[in-house]
Amino acid sequence: MNWTEILTFSRGPLLHVALMIFIVGMSYRLVRVLLLGWERDRVPNKGSKIWGVILNYLKGLVVLPFIPWVRRTFRNNALTFIAGGLFHLSLFVVLAFGTAHILVWKSLCGISWKSLPTPVVAFFSATGIISLIVLLINRLTHPVLKILTKLPVWINWVMVFLPMVTGFIMARHLWFRYEVIFSLHLISVSLLLIWIPLGRISHFLFYFFSKTIHGAQAGKRAIVP
Amino acid sequence: MKEKTIYEHLREKGLSRRDFMKLCGTIAGMMGLELAPPVKALGKLAHPTPAEVVAQALTTKPKLPIIWLEFQDCAGCSEAISRSSSPLLSKLVLNDIAIEYHETLMAAAGFQAEKAKEECMKKYWGKYVLVVEGSPTLADDGIYCVVAGKSNLDLLKEAAAGAAAIIATGNCASFGGIPAAHPNPTRAVGVADLIKDKPVVNIPGCPAIPEVTTGTILHFLVMGELPKTDELKRPLPFYGNTVHDHCLRRPFYEAGKFAESFDDEGARKGYCLYKLGCKGPTTYNACAGLKWERGLSYPVQSGHPCLGCSQPHFWDGGGFYEGQSAPTIIPDKGSTATLVGAGVAVGAALAGVNAIKKNRAKKALTKNAGPEAKAEPEPKKEA
Amino acid sequence: MKTQSAINTYLKETGGWVASQLEACTRCGICAEACHFYQALGNPEYAPIWKLEPLRRAYEQRFTIAGKLKLALGLEKKLTDADLEHWSKIVYEACTVCNKCAHVCPMGIELGPLIHEVRAGMAAAGVVPGDLAEATEKQRTVGSPLGVTDEMWRERIDWITDEWEVDIPVDKAGAESLMVFTSIELMKFPDNLAAIAKILNKAGENWTVSSTGREVVNFGYFEADEELTKLFMYRVFKAAEDLGVKKIIISECGHAYDAFRWTAHNIMKVPAGVKIVHITEYIHELWKTGRIKLKEGAFDAETITFHDSCKIQRRGGIIKQPREILKVLAPTRFKEMTPNKEQSMCCGGGGGVISIKEADANRYAVFEMKLEQMRDIQAQAVCMVCSNCRLQFVDSLAHFNSTIKVHGLAEMVAKALI
Repeated sequence: MNWTEILTFSRGPLLHVALMIFIVGMSYRLVRVLLLGWERDRVPNKGSKIWGVILNYLKGLVVLPFIPWVRRTFRNNALTFIAGGLFHLSLFVVLAFGTAHILVWKSLCGISWKSLPTPVVAFFSATGIISLIVLLINRLTHPVLKILTKLPVWINWVMVFLPMVTGFIMARHLWFRYEVIFSLHLISVSLLLIWIPLGRISHFLFYFFSKTIHGAQAGKRAIVP
Repeated sequence: MKEKTIYEHLREKGLSRRDFMKLCGTIAGMMGLELAPPVKALGKLAHPTPAEVVAQALTTKPKLPIIWLEFQDCAGCSEAISRSSSPLLSKLVLNDIAIEYHETLMAAAGFQAEKAKEECMKKYWGKYVLVVEGSPTLADDGIYCVVAGKSNLDLLKEAAAGAAAIIATGNCASFGGIPAAHPNPTRAVGVADLIKDKPVVNIPGCPAIPEVTTGTILHFLVMGELPKTDELKRPLPFYGNTVHDHCLRRPFYEAGKFAESFDDEGARKGYCLYKLGCKGPTTYNACAGLKWERGLSYPVQSGHPCLGCSQPHFWDGGGFYEGQSAPTIIPDKGSTATLVGAGVAVGAALAGVNAIKKNRAKKALTKNAGPEAKAEPEPKKEA
Repeated sequence: MKTQSAINTYLKETGGWVASQLEACTRCGICAEACHFYQALGNPEYAPIWKLEPLRRAYEQRFTIAGKLKLALGLEKKLTDADLEHWSKIVYEACTVCNKCAHVCPMGIELGPLIHEVRAGMAAAGVVPGDLAEATEKQRTVGSPLGVTDEMWRERIDWITDEWEVDIPVDKAGAESLMVFTSIELMKFPDNLAAIAKILNKAGENWTVSSTGREVVNFGYFEADEELTKLFMYRVFKAAEDLGVKKIIISECGHAYDAFRWTAHNIMKVPAGVKIVHITEYIHELWKTGRIKLKEGAFDAETITFHDSCKIQRRGGIIKQPREILKVLAPTRFKEMTPNKEQSMCCGGGGGVISIKEADANRYAVFEMKLEQMRDIQAQAVCMVCSNCRLQFVDSLAHFNSTIKVHGLAEMVAKALI
């Protein structure tokens, strides 16, 4: 097998199977949780639940990321906040505005948009990788994270790290022949897609549940979420 | 009877010594000779210049017999060579280096042509170069390409048996090309998939760049062997870099300036065509450097994304205007719905099992409840 | 067998609400820094998300494919009695269910209520700290966790009536409001009880206390035993129904407000048309509507700050009201601690912790941070609206030899009435 054949395979059947497993897996996860039963809240509200939800999302997306120090918990968690936040920002920028990824979304969903300048995306790609490494070191040394972290969480890190690092090497044409690193990138992406339904990376889905619940609870009690 | 050397032949035709040396320099350039092992091939000379290496060969070797077979092809590769505005190519290769048999280009036809081929093969057995254009086809014992009553598979086997080297020119001969596009009804393959006992070099492209084919032929002539190749058997001097590596629009790629659609502002400014489906990054060919028509242009320069025509199965590599990075197999709406349904089904099934477990757990916990429980029904948890 | 009861409870309680939040956790560990027990004592097992382990394991190992796989591969173990014992200590003695963790969790996971669920399993399995179980049992049999019997209660009311010369209607038919006190106030801060009576009388409120619905504290809620939680509230609701009141006023107590106002409707029947309010918001309403008038600057002689009680401010939303009153009572000397309001730090005594002697060391360690907060602003006095907090403050300030004075808001308002 040569790398051109491996690339054809990775771009084609491998990614296809991974995508299918991802779709089946995430549908399963969502339904399995949804159908566990939800009860009506009969407690009379003091404030507006909807307003609480809106505020909660805004707080997490638009307010705190820019002024994290307003929270005292930031002080002793600065590394987690900054590296974690930077990682997510980098991920978003690269996945949404990296030209190669825009083409992927175009083929999957039919819409395309303008790319950000490549050096900007490259910068965020690098910050994403560095943040991940910082987060790894944090997880290896922080006493709370040490007891919380078991094998599946380590696998999460590897599964996210590989696509980012292979993607960076590929986009910057650093090392290896292009079809080699391209294949490695797609293989690592396929592994990631297969792994996501199996673990906590799926938090991107359950984020909407917990954020909405917390926002509703806060709104109901007329407090700031 | 000793054969005339090429040099003698050229001198007879009126080429001056001075022009001959110039010619040698040009040929050396065309061969990408810097990458060849000169000393090994010629034995005695130490540190010759590339032009001298060529001169040494041309002054000592006779014309190279070439048999050019065509199978499932469009003859585009031959057309490219014959229409090439490089007089050197057409003149030199066709007339002075010798092609003994070429279905499209030779004047003869029918039995005479076949006889000429057989004679050439007999006369130069073990010494001629076999050039193949178009793909051999395996389906139904090769019935889909029959020339002079013989299946292409037999023709290929016969010709290969006496060849010193085989050059598969064009994507079809190299990897199957257009005939091999999905679903490949004729089971078209590349020459190298069938011939394993002779050195084979691939010159893919659709068509192959004429200078690359002739450059490779010249390499064999001058050096006595085929050039070094990559793992797809493509000569490294011409296929060592991707189109992307030498592309003139590369600075726009690096800056992130792309044409979003044909003839938009970006396209008119000559921006990178990556978002229009350019396969440059994964396509190994000499287009960006050597270009076409004596360095006139190549697809990207003219505003069209690279199709990746020197890559295996480029017809099936996602659409020409689909991004290089896009997956090639995407579940359609129906399949996606089925997949979601499958996930939902499994989730619902497990939820059902879980509901039973929950009920059992609840029953196991039932205690004697006080009057407050009897007095009212149970709406439950905080939500 | 104990463990099975706990597991059954977890399974019974785990619907989409619990499950989706358990799934949302990314193991970031930020919740640990919000927990005053972790901050004070540094034990990584006090990380709120770690407190949820028994619940998470029961859920994953039974309701999810991944969980079953982990079990089969030996990556995880089933819950054991030893696990329950271990976690019982953590969730009862190193947690006050203050819910600050929910506010710092980037995913917004409601860790407080989830820890309450963990306690529910412990309660079902009978793995509850002895002191707490004892107090709960007292409330079940006698009617008060402090063991205040009907007679003792009657005697105390009479005594307070005499000593503070204040009218306290008992079992008054036709009353509009049922005032329910804590036995903590009754026994330890009777001046508070008298103060509230004085305020309600001054406002011309048609109120009463009930001899049957006389305890607003809910140790069943601390234990997270749902049946007992309901029973203790039922006593009050029944009294309210029998008396035909339109309003139940919760005294200065935190978890009682949480239980009555924010939980009751979802686990039992609440008498129709009966509003449930906390005394603090009611006092504020009385003041705002002019039914009582306050002397400005009545407490402006010392720097005074306000302690936000977790169940009343962060979990109850009664944030503006005490401050508006304090700004009248101490216009120049009122100072906020940092952090405050929704982000305030728990006193360390709530959630039943103060009733567990084994947890004293934890409680004092946490209070040191509270003390630092007050010293940072040179507070000379602190005001709060929860009797449990008050108990913790009084006890711990003495423990640390501090001279900072502790006031209940009702007590201050009563003194400032004009």
